[in-house]
Amino acid sequence: MRGIFFSLLFMLELHTRSPERKERLTVLFINLLLTTIMTMSYYSRYILLPLICIVLVACSDDENTAQSGPISLEFDNVVSAANLQLNTDNTPYTNGKGEDFKVTMLSYYVSNIKLKSSDGTIYQDPMASDGSAGYYLIHESDAASQIVTLQNVPKGEYIEVTFTIGVDANQLNQGAQTGALDPVSGFFWSWNSGYIFMALEGVSPVSTEDDHVFQYHIGGYKDDGANQVDNIKTITLSFNGDTAPVRPEHEPEVHLLFDVNKFLNGPGEQVTFSTNASRHSPKPCADLANNISDAFVVDHVHAN
Amino acid sequence: MTSKAVLLLLIIACCALGCDGDRVSPSQGGYMFRAPANFPEATYTFNNNPITQEGFELGRFLFYDPILSSDSTVACANCHQQSKSFADPVHRFSKGVNDASGIRNAPAIQNMAFQEQFFWDGGVNHLDFVPINAITNELELHETLANVVNKLARNESYATRFQKAFGTPELNSQKMLFALSQFMAMMVSANARYDHYVRGEGESLTPEELVGMKLFQQKCASCHATDLFTDGTFRNNGLDTDFEKDEGRSRVTEREGDRGKFKVPSLRNAELTAPYMHDGRFNTLEKVLDHYRNAVADSETLDPLLRQGSAMGIVMSEEEKTQIIAFIKTLTDREFITDKRFSAPVVK
Repeated sequence: MRGIFFSLLFMLELHTRSPERKERLTVLFINLLLTTIMTMSYYSRYILLPLICIVLVACSDDENTAQSGPISLEFDNVVSAANLQLNTDNTPYTNGKGEDFKVTMLSYYVSNIKLKSSDGTIYQDPMASDGSAGYYLIHESDAASQIVTLQNVPKGEYIEVTFTIGVDANQLNQGAQTGALDPVSGFFWSWNSGYIFMALEGVSPVSTEDDHVFQYHIGGYKDDGANQVDNIKTITLSFNGDTAPVRPEHEPEVHLLFDVNKFLNGPGEQVTFSTNASRHSPKPCADLANNISDAFVVDHVHAN
Repeated sequence: MTSKAVLLLLIIACCALGCDGDRVSPSQGGYMFRAPANFPEATYTFNNNPITQEGFELGRFLFYDPILSSDSTVACANCHQQSKSFADPVHRFSKGVNDASGIRNAPAIQNMAFQEQFFWDGGVNHLDFVPINAITNELELHETLANVVNKLARNESYATRFQKAFGTPELNSQKMLFALSQFMAMMVSANARYDHYVRGEGESLTPEELVGMKLFQQKCASCHATDLFTDGTFRNNGLDTDFEKDEGRSRVTEREGDRGKFKVPSLRNAELTAPYMHDGRFNTLEKVLDHYRNAVADSETLDPLLRQGSAMGIVMSEEEKTQIIAFIKTLTDREFITDKRFSAPVVK
């Protein structure tokens, strides 16, 4: 009876404490249990020990590890049919207005990732309120940052992804953030508190800015008069009939493309570098931000 | 046998309840945030960043340390001095690294935990982000956040302080900003003679001050409202007819209707925080009131409260002006400006 009672208490402890505490308590408990068992009668010992072992095994596993696996999303940046290369010697790309350009920087925040499986269930990538999880800052200049790997995704056949380009308003109201939201990244307007969701910089001979640069920094998270525009975009993309099968020991990959030319030339605005080439606040980027959604596509999926 | 079981159970229970996790729990004596009875609710997100003595002290060291600037010459305290309720005691436009200066007067740091929009144009919406501006502005500390974090991480004394304050050796910008916020959030100024008087704590105001208070409530409190002495809004108080030099709030909201509007400052400790207005153009309180009496300039966004029919400004006699100023002086909080908790730390 005592042994069963202690086992139950042990289970309760496991489920209410942090992992480190779990380890300490586990060791303490095992010691106490063994001491208790050693004082019991012969028969009790041989009934209780297997019982306790079953309890330990059942409780020590994480809920998900048996039926989950990783999946990676690759954010690949292109310019029409060409792969995007930064800091080329010349201006190899041409926008929708026939203006030549090159790109020196492309970065954007991806957050709130959701995956939808063939049976309709939605998995949400966990978000931490201090910014340490769920937010990803993708840099064309950093290949590693372009691959977002989600762990412990429940087993399933996934057919659709939804993600947000931007950082939601509630995060700002929480104060200083860390992880991908640490303002040392430089993607934060110190004078107009808010994250820069997407930044594209480059050079074009037609730009009238110093050194012919263009700089589009898109941010703006609430439409309440203080930050006049909400430029946060949520995008849903189906895998076009393909599925990404998530299961243990395999890692499917979803290749997404962000097309710079579709970003520069879309339903919101057809950009010319000859005017308004330097945008560092929400309002001037409102139309441009409306090009973001259509600039992302799913290119292909590797089941792996 | 039963007593053994009970003993075991007790041991387990004590461990379960007593173990407070892996962090060393910082002490809390004398460093608790208390909202004064005559103030509105605090708005700072204490749940994300609770005040502890170690966190507060770390913030204090950072506030007074020029290591935050690019050439280690300028600290927050250079332009925010306690004797003047943490406003600049000397310069109309404070001097940053390389003697640079800007176009706006450094405001006082007081009662920050009750504000939600910071700086003259309200461009920052959380206390945690306030230091980023001073640190990264080339006219002020002229540094980058990344560099500051690196400098602090390489400094053994700071590494220890951060560990004590936050329980982990990891030093990042969030922890630094949290520490500064803890220091600034504790800067509550609510023990002026006025406060002791309205809270019935045995203080009395002179007849002149009492008349001044009534006049203040009639003529000034529509903008300088509540016991914070600001309603936190952005208004054009008729300083100029055009705002080419400094457009104010509209730079942040990108709305024409906000052009020329600046935040209503708190009048607490105004006796100490000269010069006045966003550009420090008035050296004395007398000159401020003369402006409201005689010199309010018209523009599209002039605050309606300063337009009474065809008359502009606030009507007051010379005597009333004196009385209002006498009242404003009752808002000076000598306890706050001499509180040792906020003074420069003695480096041993």
